Amino acid sequence: MEKYLLNINDLKVTIEDKEILKGLNLQIKEGETHVIMGPNGSGKSTLAYTLMGHPSYEITQGGIQFDGEIINEMKADERARKGIFLSFQYPEEIPGITVEEFLRTSKTSITGEMQKIIPFRRLLKTKMEHLGMDESYASRYLNLGFSGGEKKKNEILQMSILEPKLAILDETDSGLDVDAIKIVAESVMKIKDEKCSILVITHYNKLLEYLEPDYVHILMDGKIVKTGGVELANQIDEIGYENIKAEFSNI
Amino acid sequence: MERKKTYIEDIDRGIYDIKNDFTYRYKTDKGLTEDIIMEISREKNEPEWMRDFRLKSLEIYNNKPIPTWGADLSGLDIDNIITYIRPDTDMKHSWDDVPEDIKITFELLGIPQAERESLAGVGAQYDSEVVYHNIKQELIDQGIIYTDMETALKEYEDVVKEYFMKLIPPNDHKFAALHGAVWSGGSFVYVPEGVQVDIPLQSYFRLNAPGAGQFEHTLIIVEKGAKLHFIEGCSAPMYRVNNLHAGCVELFVKENATLRYSTIENWSKNMYNLNTKRAVVDKNGTIEWISGSFGSKVSMLYPMSILRGEGARSEFTGITFAAEGQHLDTGTKVVHAAPHTTSTVNSKSLSKDGGYAFYRGLLRVAENAYGCKSTVSCESLMLDNISKSDTLPIIELNNDNIDIGHEAKIGRISDEAIFYLMSRGISEEEAKAMIVRGFVEPITKELPLEYAVELNNLINIELEGTIG
Amino acid sequence: MLWKRIGLKDFEFPKVHDYKKDYIKIEGKFPKEVKINRISESENKYFDIEFSGVGDKFTSFAKKYYNAGIQLRLPRNTKIVEPVKLEFHMDENNPTLVDKNLIIAEEGSEVNIIMDYYSNEKIETLHNGLTVIYAKENATVNIIKIQRLGDSSQSFDSNIAYVEGNGKVNWISVELGSYISGSNYRTYLDGEASGSNLSSIYLGDGIRKMDLEYTMIHKGPRSISNIETKGVLKDNSKKVFRGNLDFKRGSRHSKGVEEEYVILLDPTVKSDSIPALLCDEDDVEGEHAASAGQIDENKLFYLMSRGLDERESKKLVVEASFRPIIDRIPYKYLQEIIFDEIERRLIDA
Repeated sequence: MEKYLLNINDLKVTIEDKEILKGLNLQIKEGETHVIMGPNGSGKSTLAYTLMGHPSYEITQGGIQFDGEIINEMKADERARKGIFLSFQYPEEIPGITVEEFLRTSKTSITGEMQKIIPFRRLLKTKMEHLGMDESYASRYLNLGFSGGEKKKNEILQMSILEPKLAILDETDSGLDVDAIKIVAESVMKIKDEKCSILVITHYNKLLEYLEPDYVHILMDGKIVKTGGVELANQIDEIGYENIKAEFSNI
Repeated sequence: MERKKTYIEDIDRGIYDIKNDFTYRYKTDKGLTEDIIMEISREKNEPEWMRDFRLKSLEIYNNKPIPTWGADLSGLDIDNIITYIRPDTDMKHSWDDVPEDIKITFELLGIPQAERESLAGVGAQYDSEVVYHNIKQELIDQGIIYTDMETALKEYEDVVKEYFMKLIPPNDHKFAALHGAVWSGGSFVYVPEGVQVDIPLQSYFRLNAPGAGQFEHTLIIVEKGAKLHFIEGCSAPMYRVNNLHAGCVELFVKENATLRYSTIENWSKNMYNLNTKRAVVDKNGTIEWISGSFGSKVSMLYPMSILRGEGARSEFTGITFAAEGQHLDTGTKVVHAAPHTTSTVNSKSLSKDGGYAFYRGLLRVAENAYGCKSTVSCESLMLDNISKSDTLPIIELNNDNIDIGHEAKIGRISDEAIFYLMSRGISEEEAKAMIVRGFVEPITKELPLEYAVELNNLINIELEGTIG
Repeated sequence: MLWKRIGLKDFEFPKVHDYKKDYIKIEGKFPKEVKINRISESENKYFDIEFSGVGDKFTSFAKKYYNAGIQLRLPRNTKIVEPVKLEFHMDENNPTLVDKNLIIAEEGSEVNIIMDYYSNEKIETLHNGLTVIYAKENATVNIIKIQRLGDSSQSFDSNIAYVEGNGKVNWISVELGSYISGSNYRTYLDGEASGSNLSSIYLGDGIRKMDLEYTMIHKGPRSISNIETKGVLKDNSKKVFRGNLDFKRGSRHSKGVEEEYVILLDPTVKSDSIPALLCDEDDVEGEHAASAGQIDENKLFYLMSRGLDERESKKLVVEASFRPIIDRIPYKYLQEIIFDEIERRLIDA
């Protein structure tokens, strides 16, 4: 049997008693890049939150295996320490906590090693430069007053500092202009080179031009209905989800 | 979904709760009579006008009702409060001369160390009298006066007479009258025109005696273009009988002057803290209040800024942390009494374990105070559902040429924010602690470093049980 | 104490005569199970409530000495779209109105009510009203109250609603008239997921004094309330606004929002705001905001640059601020009445 980094098996998830994911299967190997596309309400963000362990999402059936271990019951912080990272579609604003302070605490927790102030600051500065972020953001309150694009960049900054095994990018390209997408894509490529697996959740394919995904999956009504290569994403770009939907309702 | 309850530990009162034996050189009987007032005045060897002032205040006190709004004061039995206790020492200018037990108390509170490291002058009051007062020579050379009120009354009688209880007259309310009758101790600061003091002065008030009252009077005059930062600290050990603190703080900020007044109040939970603080600010002057209320059983404390000069400014930054058995009724009052005055109020409160935090505020704009600006923000964080938190800001506007904004928020720690932090590998407990620290950060960053560190240490969070 | 701020401590009621005019206007057909009658003693038990409204004196007077009002009972699942209109248009022969109203919306029912209080400028009239609403499970009561009495009138109005699970009571209050006006709305969100919106506008001109108090009491879990008030003050008018959000223990996951925005047009106006946020429950979200200031100079400048004179421009800006609230009134004719009255008070005065 092949070894998967992430193995999702017949996953059913409900929120407030409403079933959103209705038997989803997905396998990702180390270093692979997968894309999940789907119309609004198909369950894309639910999948992202469920993988990260949001307490409002209840798994009613199936399981998530990550790095050889079933993680259904794990809390978000344990999952993060195991190497899962979620780039949030709408990152929270947290007043009073600076980006630097937050990330240093986070890095300490994930690596289990105390991060010394000076070397950490150096690392942060380098990563921020890569992303074209102004240094001053390090001492600003976490996401507070950041524009949509700045928040997304800040998510990617966190990803590149925390060096996960699996990075889930939930609509990371939305709210970014063309230049910013390119910069973000470069950062994602960099961690991909470190054998990180990537799961991109999106409903357009702006980011895909740079990322060269191995697989593209179409998610509809809580299930993956079609899997293919990049050509599938292009197809959707041309014909839209409606036709795909029609294709499946005919079956 | 399972929702976790947040538990924030009580403030560690270790060092505050160290009691010394109750020794004194002189104390009055319990309660309040004309004879007691005469005794206090005689003991202090005061001028006649001050004695008369005390007697008149007593009369006002006897005729004023106990306020019925705000916190419940029924547990306060003034007839059983000792109003004056002279510690068994005279005022010293060197810590070496202060009696050992008193000195140790202040050392544990970190006062002499802070003086060496970061202060320009220190005053220390123990029960009713100031036991230590010292100020750096270079400040004396600049003409700054920093001494206890008793010395001020002797050496600068005309100044004291001109300002004393002019801003908070005894007929203001019952406890102002009580203060006028039995006041003792406190600090007097005079900063001459144009002198800017960059390092803070600090007075520390320690009430050691059980069943006693502390009634210190702080009078600060900052002349034109001068600048001062004054820090006030208060604490007392826990007793089973109730103690009373009814101090008065009168601040006079002259034209173009700036005064920052920081208070960290950590009275024990048997204390009724009914303190009155007021500042009057002249043209283009600035008053900045930093106010931390953590201790006491009951607090009623509303520092007031009267902006009477054109372009005067006030800034209030306050945090109130009410835990079990505490009713902290705090807030601020701002009166815009001149054109183009500006004010900002930023208040945060935390309540837990049945604590009751009440923000009560007043913003008044007078008819002639056109071109005023004010923003008021009150945020309350509830840490469980047995606690209580209320917000009552009163806004009175008497002209149209103004720009006023007010907002208030109340709630618990956001689950989404916790999840976000946890998704970065931070544990739930730490995530909550971070959010609470972030909540109070606007206040902690204004505190002197040692207090900021202490406050952060106070916020140690652990989880307790779950709720449905 | 309610009246301390506008100085109405000693108020004596005049003798109440009959109110002889017809005031129940019904257009269209209602199902016959819907009972709308003049108020009678038979319903007294529904008024046996603790509610001081604008003052105990006023509510107890209305309970006893009413001369008008309705009792309306909607049977289960009955929804009536056409509004029940109550037009209290006072005149020389009917200068005193003490209306006492009871609305009971049974489970799943829905009703729209319009109460319009009007009198001619020159007549001295007095209005003292009490309205009690019971919205049972899943019931919806939408009620619009328009107070446009003349400047020689006094108006006192107390309203209370009890809302059960998933029920809704939506108030719209329009305060435009009288030289003294006290108006009090209190809503108990008793049931789970009950809700209430209170949208109001007020216009102070001349020597009008207003004391407006809106209270939302959250008892049920997941209850939602929203108070949104827009006001304008000119001349020597005075207003006291009290908005209270009260979260009782057990009202977890509830949310309450309260906002008041007032535009001040003259240096002689007086505007007091006392927004209170009371909280006994941690798992709630409560917010209030208040702001006060002059008319936005930029907007004024923009309009004047298009050739409007200052008065006309100010009127437009004021109307623009009221519009979001007035737009919630789904009756064109009422919107017109309100805009006409605003215009009259802003321009013609």
